[in-house]
Amino acid sequence: MNRYFRELSVAGALVLLLALLGVVAPQFFELQPLLSRLTAQVPTLVLTIGIAMVMITRQIDISVGSQFGLCAVLAGNLLAGGLSLPLALPLAATAGAAMGALNGCLVAWLGLPSIVVTLATMVTWAEVLRLTQQGRFINLPAGVQWLGLSQPAGQTALLAASLGLLAAMAWLLKNRSGGRHLYAVGSDAEAARLSGINPKGTTFWVFVCMGALAGVAAVCNLVQSPQVDPKCGTGLELKAIAAAVVGGIAVNGGRGSLWGAFVGLLLLATINPALTFLHVEAYWEKAIQGLVILLAVVADGIRSRRNAS
Amino acid sequence: MPQPTAMKRSQFLHSLLVLPTALLLPGCNKSETGAGAAGAGKKLTIAFMPKSKGNSYFINCEKGAREAVQELGVDLLFDGPTNTDPAKQNEIVENWITLGVDVMAVACENKEGISGALKKAQEKGIKVVTFDSDTTPDARSFFVSQATAQGIGEGLMDEAARLCGEEGEFAIITATLTAANMNEWRKHIEARLAEKYPKMKLVDTKPCDDQKDKAQQETTNLLGANPNLKCIMAICSPAVPGAAEAVKQAGKAGAVKVLGLGLPSENRAYLKDGITQSVILWKVADLGYLALHAAHALGSGALKAGDTSFKAGRLGELQVDSNGAIILGKPFVFNKENVDQFDF
Repeated sequence: MNRYFRELSVAGALVLLLALLGVVAPQFFELQPLLSRLTAQVPTLVLTIGIAMVMITRQIDISVGSQFGLCAVLAGNLLAGGLSLPLALPLAATAGAAMGALNGCLVAWLGLPSIVVTLATMVTWAEVLRLTQQGRFINLPAGVQWLGLSQPAGQTALLAASLGLLAAMAWLLKNRSGGRHLYAVGSDAEAARLSGINPKGTTFWVFVCMGALAGVAAVCNLVQSPQVDPKCGTGLELKAIAAAVVGGIAVNGGRGSLWGAFVGLLLLATINPALTFLHVEAYWEKAIQGLVILLAVVADGIRSRRNAS
Repeated sequence: MPQPTAMKRSQFLHSLLVLPTALLLPGCNKSETGAGAAGAGKKLTIAFMPKSKGNSYFINCEKGAREAVQELGVDLLFDGPTNTDPAKQNEIVENWITLGVDVMAVACENKEGISGALKKAQEKGIKVVTFDSDTTPDARSFFVSQATAQGIGEGLMDEAARLCGEEGEFAIITATLTAANMNEWRKHIEARLAEKYPKMKLVDTKPCDDQKDKAQQETTNLLGANPNLKCIMAICSPAVPGAAEAVKQAGKAGAVKVLGLGLPSENRAYLKDGITQSVILWKVADLGYLALHAAHALGSGALKAGDTSFKAGRLGELQVDSNGAIILGKPFVFNKENVDQFDF
């Protein structure tokens, strides 16, 4: 019970919010709009899985929004040029993994702080995107949206695939040695090294994995609309990091679960529509989200002080 | 006194018009002669500079300018940065001063940044007009303005009222709640609403961070939370296709109207499918046409400081306000029928 206190309290807050909506604005639960709202969060969920892994390893990656944008534009342009849809996913994932590998090399082997490295790559990729695409939307060929399926079928498929990915990654992290290494390196890299883990290799591969997930997330976004907005990745890194923090991924590494990050994402992603349904002015949205994140960080702080004493 | 400042306009353009690097037109940088009034006295040399050459908005501007060149029979120098670059603009102005052109027409990327170079040109006897985005008023004689904030705000509100039969609920999607130009438009939208459309009601205003996907999510929420909504008004360009996609996915095409301020090219499919009804923007080619006419009139002495109106070829008689702004006129409404005539 105590072990999952954090995850359970976030889930409790989410249930309370949903209950309030159920009483005040039951139309929130209409099936088709609900499905659309959930599907719209799939790309952020995929990014959150990656960022949670990065944070568990006691690193951070703020370049994922830019990676996401570049992958989306690359895949979008190739699809518009006639690339077949099944190839878009491995291609975007590879492009993302390559960008992640650059971050990983600089952080793991040059020992540079990940916040600085990924700040640099964030700006660099964003500028590459701006210069090459000049803000122009990409019109995708027919048959890309919803993977060529009907809208409800496509949405269900995307949701199911992303939940499957979440379950698989959560299982790997918890039950496989490679996954346990992330926690070990994030808790104490030196102790991990002494016990035979390679912290540099682990760190490198976490960034590669993050990049690949950014590519996958970009494709999950691209198939939801007939056009690609080259600004689609802007700010996504903050959404993913916020979801992870609220969901109990420790900012200083070594602790947290993907399921917790998932619940954190659900809570944050519910606040925005909830405000619209409760007819609260949009001015409050960012303030309330900020407050939720602050609460989460304060809870972390109290917890680590208590553990230390 | 809705006088849109250059800062507002440049922000707006930044969000609206960061557009494709289309093929650079051949013949840039070369002097070209119009066919018109050959032999009628000394031929004027007019230098014309967009914010960036590879941007389809300004390529359309240039088309209009070249049309005016044909009419007026002037020499045209066309040059600008490949991508928006204020320093490069200054460099080009300096070159033109050395060349000794008669008039410059400039769309300024940086209001203050270019004013020094333009003042220097004026000291050398070169006349200066700005278009699209202004410099400081002391660095130019006239500013050719695409539309006023009032014109945009009222144009949007009138069109929304027309689509809804002047009755019912609507919501606005803006870029951010702090964007100065859009807040100015919203002020005029709300003033027009209060003054002319008592049976319409603005139920909510949501920011989309200038992103299509966020606009789509906000619209999905608005449609669910306000079942009587009759119209979505998207006042930043990525929000127009975003709102349309949400209306389409909710299966409410036609029942909920979509209109907005945006580019015809990004909305063509939604216009044709009857999801988006109207997209509002000025005719960009007319802006270039007017800028060249103003430059010519200024150079030939037909347009002087203090004039309150000015005749610009096929555009007819246009007003000049006390700040030296020549207003192109009311924004143009793109719809299903006419959208194919425009390629920006």
